[in-house]
Amino acid sequence: MTLPSPASQPRGKALRLHLALARIWASDQRIRGWFTSSNNNDIGSLFLIVATSFFVIGGILAMLIRAQLATPDSAFMEPQVYNQIFTMHGTVMMFLFAIPFFEAMSMLLLPGMLGTRDMAFPRLGAYGLWVYIFGGSAVIIAMLMGLAPDGGWFMYPPLSSAAFSPGIGADVWLLGITSIEVSAIATAIEVIVTVLRYRAAGMSLSRMPIFAWYILVVSVMILTAFPPMILGSLLLEVERALNWPFFQVENGGDPLLWQHLFWLFGHPEVYIIFLPAAGMIATILPVMARTNLLGYGWVVAAAVSLAVLSFGLWVHHMFTTGIPHMGLAFFSAASTLVAVPTSVMIFSWIGTLWKGRARMGLPMLWIMGFFATFVIGGLTGVMLAVVPFNWQVHDTHFVVAHLHYVLIGGYVFPMIAAIYYFMPLLTGRTRFFKLGEVAFWLVVPSFHITFLSVHMAGLLGQRRRTWTYDADQGWTALNLVASIASFVMAIGFALTILDVAVNAFVAVRGRRNPWGAGTLEWAGAIPSPAYGFASIPIVQGRYPLHDDPDLALHIARGEGYLGDASRIRRETLIVSTARGEPLQVVVLPGNSVLPFLLAVVTSTSFLAPLFDAYIVAGLALVAVVALALVWAWGLGGRVDEGHVDAGHGAMLPLASECRDPPGWWGSVFLLLADGVHFGSLLFGYAFLWTVAPNWPPHSYLQPQLWAVIVALTGALALTAGPRLAVRAIAKGGTAWPAITLGIVGSLALAIAAASVMLDRPGPARHAYDATLWLLAGHVGLHTILSAIMLCYLAARVAAGYASPARIGEAGIVKLWADFTVATGLVALAAAWLPGAFA
Amino acid sequence: MIDILRLSLPITVWLAGFSAVYALQGLSCSRHWPADLDARQVLLAAYAVAIVLQLIALLAVLYAPSKARFVQTTATVLAATALGAAVWTLMPVLATSVCL
Ligand code: HEM
Ligand SMILES: [Cu+2]
Repeated sequence: MTLPSPASQPRGKALRLHLALARIWASDQRIRGWFTSSNNNDIGSLFLIVATSFFVIGGILAMLIRAQLATPDSAFMEPQVYNQIFTMHGTVMMFLFAIPFFEAMSMLLLPGMLGTRDMAFPRLGAYGLWVYIFGGSAVIIAMLMGLAPDGGWFMYPPLSSAAFSPGIGADVWLLGITSIEVSAIATAIEVIVTVLRYRAAGMSLSRMPIFAWYILVVSVMILTAFPPMILGSLLLEVERALNWPFFQVENGGDPLLWQHLFWLFGHPEVYIIFLPAAGMIATILPVMARTNLLGYGWVVAAAVSLAVLSFGLWVHHMFTTGIPHMGLAFFSAASTLVAVPTSVMIFSWIGTLWKGRARMGLPMLWIMGFFATFVIGGLTGVMLAVVPFNWQVHDTHFVVAHLHYVLIGGYVFPMIAAIYYFMPLLTGRTRFFKLGEVAFWLVVPSFHITFLSVHMAGLLGQRRRTWTYDADQGWTALNLVASIASFVMAIGFALTILDVAVNAFVAVRGRRNPWGAGTLEWAGAIPSPAYGFASIPIVQGRYPLHDDPDLALHIARGEGYLGDASRIRRETLIVSTARGEPLQVVVLPGNSVLPFLLAVVTSTSFLAPLFDAYIVAGLALVAVVALALVWAWGLGGRVDEGHVDAGHGAMLPLASECRDPPGWWGSVFLLLADGVHFGSLLFGYAFLWTVAPNWPPHSYLQPQLWAVIVALTGALALTAGPRLAVRAIAKGGTAWPAITLGIVGSLALAIAAASVMLDRPGPARHAYDATLWLLAGHVGLHTILSAIMLCYLAARVAAGYASPARIGEAGIVKLWADFTVATGLVALAAAWLPGAFA
Repeated sequence: MIDILRLSLPITVWLAGFSAVYALQGLSCSRHWPADLDARQVLLAAYAVAIVLQLIALLAVLYAPSKARFVQTTATVLAATALGAAVWTLMPVLATSVCL
């Protein structure tokens, strides 16, 4: 008999653990697995492939544009077609490629970087993916049917209003894009909760990989930037469908309101696109330079300040709208200011290169391409921030060139670098075919030839969004050069995609951590297994793999937290936000077709109105609520498990037996977005009241005493009910009287809101009436939601899902009720006060 | 959570102040503005208030420091940035015409 050697025994343990975890976390291997998996590797890969397809579609459209502009008086496209093509090019690139692509990368990489096993809400991620696929496909199908929007990617009314854009093109845009924004918000919430709560043990904020910081900042920006845009889309869609005159001057509206709402979103949007790319550079560059990032804290501060500053820039897109000089000067000053944090980042990267010993290689090559391009784009941006210059080049091809320098140079190039850098991790293979270098040298020089010419043409006066020009305008040679170079660039991009695809499927198997990186995503097996880490790592610094070269081995042997699969369920660790101490054990849901189904009905509710199928849309909405309830019902348990063994002697509570489960955190951030949406509505109201020409309306709504009293009592009941319910559940008492009180309260608030509508029938009369209906609609919607949640809570309590420990759900309901009360009272006050004082 | 606030609040105050002054300027050019009220004086006062708020935010970060050194330095840098941003971005109040 031979004893097993000491070394092989742990290896056996690692293998057994691997097999057990692989079984628990496996997605369905059959075809249906595509629709039921919620694993971040699967969802992220699908996301990535779909986003890349949209890049290809957007690229083909770009080639059509350049083909049309190659020669003067070209007969290649009719102006009507050209309008659709550039609108769709911009829309596809911004909404269907750029945002989803970095979301895909974060889903694939974040759990690994943070040292956790999956994203915080795996099913929400799957839901976001499917909504995106349906919404995006609908927009593309509409284009193929010749029904594409044609008002430019920012869809200004009155051009995009019913009078000047009849047909469903603009509606396709408004509804399709809104559904994609819903998907982006879902993903953003998932990312935030993951970064704040799902990390390796000991990973304090200061030890977080830099990409996690960037993507955290970006996700908060999504939650605060998208709601104004969603509101704008809602207003415009309601105006188009029901003639509520938000943007019609003659009835008290103002088209400038759209521009404010759009750019409140649109400017942060460009940083939402740039910052993830910057995060990739800050991740990759130090590794390629064999050193650590210089000035980590400064970079974090720069990212945060850039994010916030970017919300104070929106008017620089409106310099030619006749806004007073002082207003222009505010935004000009703020626009020049963003160059400061951007420079901090650039200098940190240059300093990192300086400090280290850089090696070339394809990722590095693309980063060099980024530097050469982005700096120029940043400088033309500062030029555009200067008002008099802006007046000269507004709406010319100079702007087109500027935005492509930042978008392609600042986003596409770094993302390609990231794809090559992470390829060994994502595919398990090391690049073998060297097509990528050729592609690089095709893309970067031809990019500069294309867009330098476009800059020049713009300075010479060529306007954007015009389908052709005359031979005697002097732009012929520049445009021809730009077009030829752009075709070369397109070939280069095609080769890049080919190179990645070929290498991903047939290149040789590689070894773990080929670049010698220090962060956790490289500590697992490659390609990353479904469960991510065999045990949750314990980290003591920012670069755990450098601190402990054997870390991968320890993790694989189950020597971190939760390195024991005997409970046969998908468990991972929740840590404290700031210091990363282990707090809770969370059980993630298994495979499910629910996200897919919910996405089907959500998308139906968005798309059915395109065909005037309002009944279908209504039914779909009911199905959304029903499926959401089924979804929630499957979580939690009926017995208290008490604390469970998390390894290392730590006995931790289950997240479902805590006061702040992940769902509570998710709700907080969803309500942040909801609050910004509500704030945007108030802003729109105040804006119209202040500057719209046809104000004041003929009369203001006069508040009625009974309605005010009903509203206040309702608010009181809806505040007290959920509180008392939480207290009752915490004490093990009966909760239903308190829950009933809450339901009655929400109904009372709803009645008060309805009274506003009843007092002012005819929202199509004046923008004021339309705004009142939206304010009341906000209250109505939220009171209904609160009532549904309270009923649900009552059912959960009755079915035994609540206990003094399992109280998180009641807390979530309380949160929503509080939000309803707070915003409801503000909305009603906003509706009633002008009449009370007029 | 408090650490997150330390990091995010001062610069958010800048955003609020900036937007508020811009809104005030818009209001001062609208039909709602009382004719006998000097808009520039009010805007200058608002500028001063915005700066004072930013100073308070900075002092709050300095005098109620975080236990984590990283958070403390980053929060200080951010609060100082916010102060600088308030001074710089609202400076047009001093010079440019109000409603032209
Ligand atoms: C592949 C190379 C690309 C080429 C050759 C190209 C070319 C163009 C051209 C010529 C226009 C101006 C059309 C006009 O105003 O008449 C345009 C517009 C635009 N492009 Fe690109 N583009 C490319 C890639 C991208 C990428 C990657 C993005 C974003 C990530 C992007 C975003 C936009 C946007 C937002 C517009 C404005 C659309 C509008 O005016 O409504 N482009 N592009
Ligand atoms: Cu901008």
